[in-house]
Amino acid sequence: MNLVEKILAKASGRQKVEPGDIVVANVDCLLLHDLSGYITSRVFENEVHRPMKYPERVVIVFDHHFSPPTESQARVLEETRAFARRHGVHLFDCGSGNIHHAGLRNGFIRPGAVIVGSDSHTPVHGAVGAFAAGLGNNSHAGMVMPFGKAWFRVPETIRIELSGHHKPGVTPRDSALWLTAQIGEGGAVYKALHFGGKYIKELDMWDRWLFPLITVDVGAKCGFIEPDEKTVQFMSEFTSNPYDLLYSDSDSDFQATWSYDISDLEPQVAASPTLGNVGPISVFAGREVQWAELGGHGGGRIEDIRQAAEILRGRHIANGVKFNVVPSSRQVFQQACDEGLVVDMFQAGCTWFPPSTGSNQAINMGAMAETESMVSTHARNFPGRNGSPKAKMYLSSAYTVAASAVRGVLSDPREFLA
Amino acid sequence: MKARGRCWKFGDNIPTDQMVRSDRAIGSMDDMRKHVLENLNPAFARDVQPGDILVAGRHFGQSSGRAVAPKALQATGIGGLVVDSAARLFYRNCYEIGLPLLQCPGITAGVDDGDILAVDFESGIITNERSNVSLQGEAIPPFLMDMLRAGGLIPMAGRLAEEEQ
Repeated sequence: MNLVEKILAKASGRQKVEPGDIVVANVDCLLLHDLSGYITSRVFENEVHRPMKYPERVVIVFDHHFSPPTESQARVLEETRAFARRHGVHLFDCGSGNIHHAGLRNGFIRPGAVIVGSDSHTPVHGAVGAFAAGLGNNSHAGMVMPFGKAWFRVPETIRIELSGHHKPGVTPRDSALWLTAQIGEGGAVYKALHFGGKYIKELDMWDRWLFPLITVDVGAKCGFIEPDEKTVQFMSEFTSNPYDLLYSDSDSDFQATWSYDISDLEPQVAASPTLGNVGPISVFAGREVQWAELGGHGGGRIEDIRQAAEILRGRHIANGVKFNVVPSSRQVFQQACDEGLVVDMFQAGCTWFPPSTGSNQAINMGAMAETESMVSTHARNFPGRNGSPKAKMYLSSAYTVAASAVRGVLSDPREFLA
Repeated sequence: MKARGRCWKFGDNIPTDQMVRSDRAIGSMDDMRKHVLENLNPAFARDVQPGDILVAGRHFGQSSGRAVAPKALQATGIGGLVVDSAARLFYRNCYEIGLPLLQCPGITAGVDDGDILAVDFESGIITNERSNVSLQGEAIPPFLMDMLRAGGLIPMAGRLAEEEQ
């Protein structure tokens, strides 16, 4: 069996599982954010009428609101706080960072565990060797909360073998954007994606993270990376609780192996309307942007802020450009303070925002009029997610975000990194 | 489990955000229903009749996995959906809320908006009454058929949690 099959077998009390089996597995952690937490809480209390089985495994993170902009949103958050108190579940309030960083950094994510959540990027936690999948509100309210379990169809696994080294100015985020288009939206529906190969092995943990992050957008159920010494070191920063280090058997089957060499990649951009609309920066260079942002469920890492500062230090963003910097967690903001990046970015004309998921769906910031465009490290670029359906969202590396902010048009960061 | 009604046809890769805008997702179901799919076809929410069939292309319902998106479609009274393919979370959510969904690669090529379709979700047969052509959709797995018959996941969750361990 491979890693995901072993985790699902263990969690469902079976010796063995095979792709296609339906299992009911114990869930180790349920992650909800402010949007899904409220919706799920209503279904649980209005339709399920049972006690919360394991409140200590349920985590709600308010990450789309660092501060509610309207009375009705304030009421939703208050009702969700009351729900968390009534049932004794964990709540990380406004300003705690984005859901996935807060969940991991507070010790709720562990290798070998079954992690579910209503954020569709929940599979990102496969980066530490967990089985992590997004489920719907009724799964969470109807099975996870009252029984501590969820049903799963054991997925077929595709091995994604990555090799090569980046050119200067090209980053793991460029590889991940490019890979999304190579696999294609809906190119791996219901599959487990096993990310491996020399390229993945050599990446640091927060860069490995960017790969399981894309699984939902190619239609997959989950993505995972075999744990190694880097994983163990990484986990030791966040939890002293024990966990099971499970590994795929060396003879485990794959439905297919897809191999990619990233050596020739240029900086990449994914332009609205969809994540499959990816091309090298040269295709998009020169298009105007009024907004730049480091943030979102995959952005706002210290790595992103360092990259942007490398370009912005001693420079200033263009007239008419607004640059939002949104740390993914409180720890990242502290790190940025310690490294002097807060001042560097501020002096370049950027504005710091509270730890959160930033302009993700424009819940408390980041709405655009139809004539506006944003370049960001966000994970999504669908029309209407940030205000007008005609507004454009360009996804890129933090280097490309920073270079484009300096010029006011999408720009190749290598012109600044010589 | 059958439905018969007008075909409302939509395209490929439609995200759930385009069914229910995120700022409406915490509002009332009535509001979500009135605005469902508004950016793609404003006539749909206004004119859809109970029993109508929503047809869409590849990877329907991608992006966010909020069940309010299929719930808003269900609230219009549609008899079910037939899609070339569905995104995983959307697929799961449909059965969990008791909304019949058939995957039938080729459906968008075989029907036009406004056709009258008769769909048998158990046999998977879709009949286009205008052209009198039938298409065979993929069989719904027995586990999910049971869930549809139960009216969704919540009514069967207790039984499921106990019998599988």
